[in-house]
Amino acid sequence: MAILDGRDPIAQGVVLDLPLISENGAVVPLGISIDRPMAEDEYVQAIHVFAPANPFPHIASFRYPNARSTPRLETRVRLNESQPVVVLAELSSGAVLVGESEVRVTVSGCLTMSDTYDTESVFQTRVRVEPGAPTSVLTLINHPQETGLRTNAQGEIIPKRLIEKLEARIGDELVFEADLHRSISANPYLRFYIQPDAPGTLDLVWTEDTGETAEFSQDVA
Amino acid sequence: MISRRKVIKSAAAAFAATPLLSMPFVARAQTAGRVVIVGGGFGGATAAKYIKRRNPDIAVTLVEASPRFYTCPFSNLYLGGLRDFDSIGHSFDELTDTYGVELITEWAEGVDGDAHTLTLASGETLGYDKLLLSPGIDMRWDGIEGYDEAAAELAPHAWKAGPQTELLRSQLEAMDDGGLFILSAPADPFRCPPGPYERVSLIANYFKESKPSSKILILDSKDAFSKQGLFQAGWQELYGDMIEWVSLSNDGRVIRVDAENLEVETEFGEIHRADVLNVIPPQKAGFIAEAAGVTNEGGWVPINPETFESQQVSDIYVVGDATIAAPMPKSGFSANAQGKVAASAIVAALTGEEAPAPSWANTCYSLIGPEYGISVAGVYRVENGEIISVEGSGGVSPAEADAEFRAAEARYAVGWYDAITQDIWGSQPA
Ligand SMILES: Cc1cc2nc3c(=O)[nH]c(=O)nc-3n(C[C@H](O)[C@H](O)[C@H](O)COP(=O)(O)OP(=O)(O)OC[C@H]3O[C@@H](n4cnc5c(N)ncnc54)[C@H](O)[C@@H]3O)c2cc1C
Repeated sequence: MAILDGRDPIAQGVVLDLPLISENGAVVPLGISIDRPMAEDEYVQAIHVFAPANPFPHIASFRYPNARSTPRLETRVRLNESQPVVVLAELSSGAVLVGESEVRVTVSGCLTMSDTYDTESVFQTRVRVEPGAPTSVLTLINHPQETGLRTNAQGEIIPKRLIEKLEARIGDELVFEADLHRSISANPYLRFYIQPDAPGTLDLVWTEDTGETAEFSQDVA
Repeated sequence: MISRRKVIKSAAAAFAATPLLSMPFVARAQTAGRVVIVGGGFGGATAAKYIKRRNPDIAVTLVEASPRFYTCPFSNLYLGGLRDFDSIGHSFDELTDTYGVELITEWAEGVDGDAHTLTLASGETLGYDKLLLSPGIDMRWDGIEGYDEAAAELAPHAWKAGPQTELLRSQLEAMDDGGLFILSAPADPFRCPPGPYERVSLIANYFKESKPSSKILILDSKDAFSKQGLFQAGWQELYGDMIEWVSLSNDGRVIRVDAENLEVETEFGEIHRADVLNVIPPQKAGFIAEAAGVTNEGGWVPINPETFESQQVSDIYVVGDATIAAPMPKSGFSANAQGKVAASAIVAALTGEEAPAPSWANTCYSLIGPEYGISVAGVYRVENGEIISVEGSGGVSPAEADAEFRAAEARYAVGWYDAITQDIWGSQPA
């Protein structure tokens, strides 16, 4: 795997919060945290998430550009079938941690599945910032996160249309960045944490594969 | 005039009272084995009856906390004022009098799987060869901040039929016209996937007749729900814009409840205030399953689908809502079908017969109005040790159908209820 670049991952410290069984593979809640005592100069630089049995296994990558990061996330992902979800965490020391957790996907009777989104409010965003140590940032953008793999009722391919990136800045400093791919559920949902070292303005920018963007700003202490 | 129904009723009573029919069970030395069952609901009462039907020489003891069983199915009709509470209550008389099941009206508190004993609240212990648990669900009181047992006395869940259901009905009756009813619906898996949506439908029917300016808000922890298209079309047709549904992605997930003030807070910080608040919290298998050591970390019971014996403790069988039987839904219909499979497996194990290979059907009817029914059906079997849904079988009601079609499905729903309660408890139609 390119990310590993010849390194041996250590099966330690990656904590996954996933249901054992999901009755709706279109929206599987996923929580990730990294539980490992970090050395002074060792912090989590990136977290990569994979669903090996999906047509496009790479679900997302999350990057923490500076040492004042809290590697803890919540999101919602698509799983095509029962499989393990695999998470790699790259540390600034060069070490790579790995963790995985198996999910059984079934569609329960009495349930009719649809991967829904609100067509009228595409690009509408919701954000909840809860100050603390660390500050929690909960985000959602209304968007189909269309894979380009589905067909409509007439059998035509529904064109790919994805939110590919979410960037968080305080002032001019990039504090968090997410690369989102096809296996992120419709209406991309993400909770992440920041530790601002001084009061400033938190700016969020979501970017679609067309280049179109959505933005949000709020002052944080 | 004597109605036909009354005649049937008294004929059944005479039948039950005939000593020739009930005697043999009492007189028999019950030596073919001893089965203890916890829960006299859809799964447990079915298993008790079908074990006795297949082999009356097996001693069957049923431990059930309530003297009478009230069904969740059709409790939504009661909430909508379309039935009285009595009509959804069922007695255990047929099980004891006709089938010779021993009934103990008490809570079961503990299980020792090695010693093969069940402990009752009184401290008494019962020995068993085979134990069957069908305890249904318990609420996860830590699932939503602020929603505990005390809060449920102010903002009922009414997800077990009984005092909670009566409390919710009395609150709806006391509500002024123009009030707001809020229902908070949980994420999957939970008991009866279409249940919350049938509930709001029948409450809307009650409002339409008695409190027409009232509104209903569903705050959902899901982005899609059972028979969604049919429900939403039916709501529009029958109730206009009385019912509003807020999906997970539109900030429908309730994360905190203030029962005192009938307020809920959603994930992104919206506060909604209700006049009547119905919170259906996340759920898990009934506590006796955990006490028996048969639940997994998710709080539900993994079973061997051929027999419904626990994967974790031998000689303990579990059926109904407590189990992981997906794709079969957590329905009364499924619990009844599973109770029969487990009964066959237990009889076979005790007598050395071969158990037949199981297959199941499930139909969930829902009423959107008293004369407007919809359904979803599925057929299931076991393949490679897992329950699968048989391809090309089952399906949902058509999206385009006339009033007569919907009315017929509403009648089938009543027919289903009468048939299944007769099958399980020997009840006669109300
Ligand atoms: C509003 C609503 C509507 C529904 N409508 C339908 C419908 O239309 N069709 C359908 O198929 N399903 C419906 N259901 C689902 C159905 O009610 C359940 O799936 C079914 O009851 C499950 O059966 P069970 O045997 O697992 O549990 P239950 O039927 O709940 O039985 C469990 C019994 O065990 C007893 N018990 C539990 N623990 C102990 C203990 N430790 N000691 C002694 N006794 C104990 C309880 O008192 C209870 O009587 C509905 C549910 C709801 C909430």
